[in-house]
Amino acid sequence: MIQVQDLHKKFRRFEALRGLSFSVPQGSAFALIGANGAGKTTIIKILTNILEPTSGRANLLGVDSRKLSPRELVQIGYVSENQDMPARLTVAEYVDYLRPFYPSWDRDLERETLRQLRLPPERKIGDLSHGMRLKMALLCALPYRPKLLLLDEPFSGLDPLVRDEFMEGLLKQAGEMTILISSHELGEIDGVATDIGFLDEGKLLFQESMAELNGRFREVRVTLAHEAAPPAQVPKDWLGLQAMGNVVTFVETSFDEKRFGEFVRSRLGEVRAINSQPMSLRSIFTTLARAARDSAAA
Amino acid sequence: MIWHIFKKDWKLIWIFVAVVAASQAITEFVLAKARVSDDSPMITLLAQNLPTGMIFFMMFLIAAIVLLDAIPGLRQDWLIRPIPRRDLLLEKLLFTVIAVEGPIFLANLVLGLASGFSLRSVLLVSAERVLYLLFFLVLPIFAFASVTKNMTEAFIFACGFAFLIAVFGTFADYLNTNANRTLTPTLYTGIGWMGELTRFAIVLVAAAVILRFQYFFRKTFLSRALVFFFGFLAFVSLFLPWRPAFAIEERLSPDPAAAKNLSLAFHSQIGRYQPPSGVNNSMYPGEGRDADVFLPLRVSGMHSGDTLITDHGEARLFGSGGKLVYHGSIFGIEVDKAGLTATGEDRHQKITLPASLYKQLQGQPVQAKLDYSFTLFSLSKSYAIPAIGGDERMPGVGWCQTKLNDAGTAVTMKCMMAEKGPTCGGIFLENPSQGTQNPEGFGCYPEYTPYSARPLDDAFRRWVARVSFRDPNGLAKYPVDGPQLPQSRLVIRLYQPLAHFTRSVVIPQLKLGDWQPR
Repeated sequence: MIQVQDLHKKFRRFEALRGLSFSVPQGSAFALIGANGAGKTTIIKILTNILEPTSGRANLLGVDSRKLSPRELVQIGYVSENQDMPARLTVAEYVDYLRPFYPSWDRDLERETLRQLRLPPERKIGDLSHGMRLKMALLCALPYRPKLLLLDEPFSGLDPLVRDEFMEGLLKQAGEMTILISSHELGEIDGVATDIGFLDEGKLLFQESMAELNGRFREVRVTLAHEAAPPAQVPKDWLGLQAMGNVVTFVETSFDEKRFGEFVRSRLGEVRAINSQPMSLRSIFTTLARAARDSAAA
Repeated sequence: MIWHIFKKDWKLIWIFVAVVAASQAITEFVLAKARVSDDSPMITLLAQNLPTGMIFFMMFLIAAIVLLDAIPGLRQDWLIRPIPRRDLLLEKLLFTVIAVEGPIFLANLVLGLASGFSLRSVLLVSAERVLYLLFFLVLPIFAFASVTKNMTEAFIFACGFAFLIAVFGTFADYLNTNANRTLTPTLYTGIGWMGELTRFAIVLVAAAVILRFQYFFRKTFLSRALVFFFGFLAFVSLFLPWRPAFAIEERLSPDPAAAKNLSLAFHSQIGRYQPPSGVNNSMYPGEGRDADVFLPLRVSGMHSGDTLITDHGEARLFGSGGKLVYHGSIFGIEVDKAGLTATGEDRHQKITLPASLYKQLQGQPVQAKLDYSFTLFSLSKSYAIPAIGGDERMPGVGWCQTKLNDAGTAVTMKCMMAEKGPTCGGIFLENPSQGTQNPEGFGCYPEYTPYSARPLDDAFRRWVARVSFRDPNGLAKYPVDGPQLPQSRLVIRLYQPLAHFTRSVVIPQLKLGDWQPR
């Protein structure tokens, strides 16, 4: 559905994207995560042809993003925290305005989404709160059942209640849609995303399915029979290694249940107990971000 | 989808459109009052300033319409909607023309018809004004606004652009002064319309190119560069050379053969120029920065009733070895063989030289070459209207009314026209019962545009003539004076161009010092 190849974007001297490549399979919910300024919004702006790449290619629905025409745009939904809609129109007036541009617009779905998101149709867009505007953007993106939905920081600044309403509205209508969602609110992506890409300073550190990611990351606590000392050479898959008393903790990034115990013993010596716990997406993200920052500092 | 987008824009901006339309209606009403009946200082002041204010008001409205769906920027929702760009562009153009020009067109139509002009002539002048505004205002501001994100940016860019225009203007003025006013020869002349049409063509091409790049490719950086490029090109068009432009005008002459026998020659027997008494001597050699010499010329071959005016003149002086020592524009000669105050055919051509150059050349033999572009006029129409309380409609003059001025020293005639105004005309007071006439006031406003001249402020031409019959100082005495006014009439004579043509005078050898005024 989306293929990005060696994408570069420069804003004068600042290089926002540095040779980014990834793909989003059809039917997946791809989460692009990264800290603020990592380049998430830039990618989505390029995908929607709001920005032009400096070099490289981004294809959506089989078309170069620079050549998106109304034929492709009727199949793309877009929700962003920074989306300017005509402030002096009411919710209903703007929906009425957009409807004729989309041949597949489903009025029943529009009414259902409007009810579900609890948006006041008679209120002017300029008078809506931040959260309501995001819901408004979702209302304007769902009724035509887009094949591809691009969500740029959709949870930013939302209170939990609105966030739940937003997610409910989204998930109910998700159906066969392919979703690309950018966020640093990792708690919200957990349970939604099927695939994930981790972005740091304009580079994609990895891309894989959530199942694989959850499978290979473990928070490990090893209790040794002796005073712990870090091994002379820390395996590259171990991140954030710390030793205190006879306890060593680290994050294993290539967890393999069958070989893990033996590998730990070979590196740390006599072991009394090994405790490995699956990690939340937030913990994985934090660990990777710290490791990236440390390696950059080194 | 054009109509659909139009309705959305209307919902968003109708209040602004209504305010501008109301202001336009008020402006037209004030102009209509000032045109014919009202002399009050307030109406005069409003009539002078409101049209300019309206231009700025319209500029804001055009920018506001374009910026409802701004092209540059990263946050506009419409950018990710399947809105055909062609439809959006056409809608904006249509909306702008209707919202900005529609009220003007309607107001002109209503006022023109209410003033008693024919539907055809009112439709013609109203459409002509709309077209003029389209090229002069709508398209340039539309293209300009399309390269800006919002009103603040548009305002800042406009200020920057205005500053650049001022800088270029000052620079051009400096160059022109140094070149003795020969660099912008067509500006403010009868053939200035050619430069204007050139600028309209540049505006059309610029708008087409910039709007295409913006609406279809969103190339804002390139489009901004193009705004400056075409702006510079429009600036360069001010330097339109005289000869090719006047050659076109010659081809457009209604009767080129009329000037066939007209000749111009240096005629030393006329003698030196005798300045009228009371003229400040500082204009003569050695007293100021400039020095004037007056070369005697004789015009021959003109028919009685003709008037000759100079559209442009240039003088060249060559020193020893044929070296060009001076090149500058000259205020040409005018020969009036028409009307009551017809003058003879001998003239002195004034050439203003830098005083230092004059001092250097005054005793040396120089060769002079004078190049003229002339227009020959002949009497085309003559009308009469009662001196007091007259109310007439005269083809080529317009709907005119006469009355006594407040000081009781002159008859004022105010006219309104739904066509192009007269180029040259004479007007005088006549008392047919006594056979007396006052001296004719004669004036020309050379303007040879094939369309109505510059209908920017007003679709209708209006003009005022003040014909004196009493000198408050008592120095002059008029044959037709106050007590005769009820039996008197104003006679208006119109002159139309017959032929545009050029003549040159070469004086092989002369001494500038011989042609100082007496």
